[in-house]
Amino acid sequence: MSARQAIQLNNVTKKFKKTTVIDEMNLQINEGEFLVLLGPSGCGKSTMLRLIAGLEKANSGEILINGQDIKQDSYFANNFAMVFQDYALYPNMTVYQNLEYALKVHKVPKRERQTRLNKVLNMLNLTAYQDRLPGQLSGGQKQRVALGRGMVKKSNIFLLDEPLSNIDVQLREKARDEIKSMHDTSHQTIVYVTHDQLEAMSLGDRIAIMNNGVIQMIDTPNNIYNNPINLFVAEFVGVPQINTLTGEIIDGQVYFAGYSLIADYSRLNKLGLISGNIYIGIRPENIHVSEQPQNAASIPVIVDKIVDYGRYQELMLIIANGQLIKATTTNNQFVIEDNVYATLVDKKILLFNQQTKQNIEYSLEN
Amino acid sequence: MHNNDHKRKLLVTVYLLPTVAILFIFMVIPIIYTFYLSFFDWNLIAPTKKFVGLENYITIFTDSVNRKVLLNTVFYIVLLLALNFILPYFIAIVVQFFIGKMKGPYKVIFFIPSIFSLVVGAMLFSWIMNPVSGPLAIVMKMVGFSLPNWTNSGGMAIVIICLITNWKVFGYNFVLLLTGLGAIPKNLIDATKIDRIPKWRVIWNIVLPLNKSIALYVLILTIVQGLQFVFTPISVITQGGPYYGSSNILYHTYLNAFVLYKTGNASALAMLTFIIFLVLLYAEMKFVEGKSNNYA
Amino acid sequence: MPKSKISAWHLLLMLLSLMLLLPVVFMISNSFKTLQDSYHSMLQIMPSRITLVNYQTLAKQVHLLTIIWNTFFMATLVTLGKIITGLLSAYAFKYFSFTGKKWLYLIFVSTIFVPFTVVMIPNYLVISKINLLNTAFGVALPQLADATGIMLFLSAMDKIPVSLTETLQVDRIPAHKALRDVIMPIIRPSIISIGAIFFINSWNEYVWPTLILKDKNSFTLPLALQNYISNEGGTNFPLAMALSTITIMVPLLIYLVFQRYILNSISSSGLK
Repeated sequence: MSARQAIQLNNVTKKFKKTTVIDEMNLQINEGEFLVLLGPSGCGKSTMLRLIAGLEKANSGEILINGQDIKQDSYFANNFAMVFQDYALYPNMTVYQNLEYALKVHKVPKRERQTRLNKVLNMLNLTAYQDRLPGQLSGGQKQRVALGRGMVKKSNIFLLDEPLSNIDVQLREKARDEIKSMHDTSHQTIVYVTHDQLEAMSLGDRIAIMNNGVIQMIDTPNNIYNNPINLFVAEFVGVPQINTLTGEIIDGQVYFAGYSLIADYSRLNKLGLISGNIYIGIRPENIHVSEQPQNAASIPVIVDKIVDYGRYQELMLIIANGQLIKATTTNNQFVIEDNVYATLVDKKILLFNQQTKQNIEYSLEN
Repeated sequence: MHNNDHKRKLLVTVYLLPTVAILFIFMVIPIIYTFYLSFFDWNLIAPTKKFVGLENYITIFTDSVNRKVLLNTVFYIVLLLALNFILPYFIAIVVQFFIGKMKGPYKVIFFIPSIFSLVVGAMLFSWIMNPVSGPLAIVMKMVGFSLPNWTNSGGMAIVIICLITNWKVFGYNFVLLLTGLGAIPKNLIDATKIDRIPKWRVIWNIVLPLNKSIALYVLILTIVQGLQFVFTPISVITQGGPYYGSSNILYHTYLNAFVLYKTGNASALAMLTFIIFLVLLYAEMKFVEGKSNNYA
Repeated sequence: MPKSKISAWHLLLMLLSLMLLLPVVFMISNSFKTLQDSYHSMLQIMPSRITLVNYQTLAKQVHLLTIIWNTFFMATLVTLGKIITGLLSAYAFKYFSFTGKKWLYLIFVSTIFVPFTVVMIPNYLVISKINLLNTAFGVALPQLADATGIMLFLSAMDKIPVSLTETLQVDRIPAHKALRDVIMPIIRPSIISIGAIFFINSWNEYVWPTLILKDKNSFTLPLALQNYISNEGGTNFPLAMALSTITIMVPLLIYLVFQRYILNSISSSGLK
């Protein structure tokens, strides 16, 4: 990854009336990077994209594109491509005219236009549709035209706002791959907004998780999933959702429902935790369910509900203290009311401070 | 945007200039000038105007003809509301909620008269309603009635004149109201059907409140436009007669200005009309929130 | 709901349709009858003998072609003026922000509520001062811009997705090109229907033209019709009906062609 920064936000704040949508945001996006902004609706991710595109003005802070403030004239030399949720194709122009329009207005010579367009039409498999109007295209085709509009402009920065949400589920994966392959061949800087975590995980070099106008965590998909910075990130990412249990630390050991969960005492000793309450996070796939206890920390549970997803089963388990935990399993051997044992894979247990909701063990070295 | 701020400012100016110029020269300045004229005694031609203070305004309320005209105006408003607002509203509700099909054709048919000249309407109805030789008189004679000579009675003339504007405006208001009713979410109406709520209650408790803003818009339009629309049939058929019996404030203003050449009186009457309309405009903005603030 | 009840409603609505349209049907049919025929069988829809005598008489008595041309010319002037000024202003209001926008819009909307009596005296004086009495320009000039047009164009532009104009912005398309190449083509049906509404209204206009057009050769159709009725004293109805039929023909044709668009535009003007 190149170290040059394509986009840089310094202390950017955006307010609508009195609501703060983006709060003192700092962000660096490297040249050629594929960054995904992921977050619940209303978290400010689209606003951030629009700020970068210059469609909104920040109340304070600065936004640098290739090192230059977007407020300055040079901003206009920059060449953004923006793909909207509804693609925003000019409905009165054919596919060809849609791709050509901005080039024509900016006086790119005709020969050059033709070369670029033919190349892009070819690349996106749109040659056969070049004379159609947007109204006659499928969602996936429209999305390709929208991408193509940026490609013919040779934009070095692509801003994509939920580009797949209007495409049928069956075709979404293919459309996703097209974006990926465009990036793989041309290495544009891409900022991609979505609320779909699968999309985020499969596309992003890095993912920025946003909530309430603040980036909670920005990291690789692997770290986001396995080493979340706080409880929000842990709970937001992952389907089925992570189990959040209330545990207690007694004499440097983590107890839940009367069982000591982490065999490796040094883990807590390192943190200097001796006592107090704590949140335990454990992903459903990291709970092993068996008919016999696997070790001293196996918790006896009763199977309360089973949801069969085909690929795996989701089990709702009731512990003696009345708490529910969720586990997934692939062997379809359990029935409701079974008395079984749940074993939490202790290496995968995450510990969160009850007040700050921060991951106690989180460190950047990971 | 950022760097070409003044370029955009220039563009906005260019785009708005024609409209602003026309509206300023032929709307804003004239209003001010009419206001100015309302304090003078003038005959539209004489080189000098005589300042008379508030006299023109006092005359409106003291002069018996003016008082009669004002009273007629109130009568016009009441009739216009009944004919051009309540009637189309009722029919729009029937078409939207009480019949299954044919919504489109009724809309198309009802709208037709609103594309015709009111002079044509005035001519047509004065023929149909002709107390001696008109078709209506003939039909009534067949069943043993006779059509009164309505041109001799101010009240009856007003009714006929309002019917003529009703013929023209009905379809227009109907379309507006029907659109408002059609914008009420269908799910809401379906839900009341499942709950077995009687139709008249649905209309009264759900439809009318939800359609309030467009209804108020049409109501005010009915008064503001209606009073101006009746000008044409008054001018074509009765010229305000008999003895100002069918005149209204707008026709009387015209009469003062261009027939009697009492420019000051006309101006004062015009200003009074303007004030009444402004009150209505204020009411509309007050109650139809957001309507005018879309672009602010 | 029982079928019989629905039919009863339909009966009422059809009766209403009849009441609204029958006068026009009688008018057209009587314009093709002689005075005698019309007197004896005025309610007969199909004339027993179709005659063009009324139209021929009209052509002799009034300068029919001049009057039709006057009406057409004036309506075209007004329509073009209102479309151009309305489109440009609506575009400025929709896509630009500028100081005083809120107030300007409020003033524009308020002009709809200005009764014509308030402006007629000064405007008459201005038009006569610049020697435009008895001309189509004199009638058209004060009407080259109006708020209704701006509001109708705005509601048409409201239907254009924001993302589309933002794409234009990101692609740095100059405003005038965006208007010409994208906005106008998209709202073309609205432009046509709004133009049709302007044209019909202007064609039918009566009050203001009566102040400006005094010379018979400058009359428009509604004025000629009014003049004819007041001069004839309403005795020769078939003739008046022939003139009326000519008056309504153009609006009727426009309506029949653009009916769907026109109704859509009228509908959207109220929904805001």
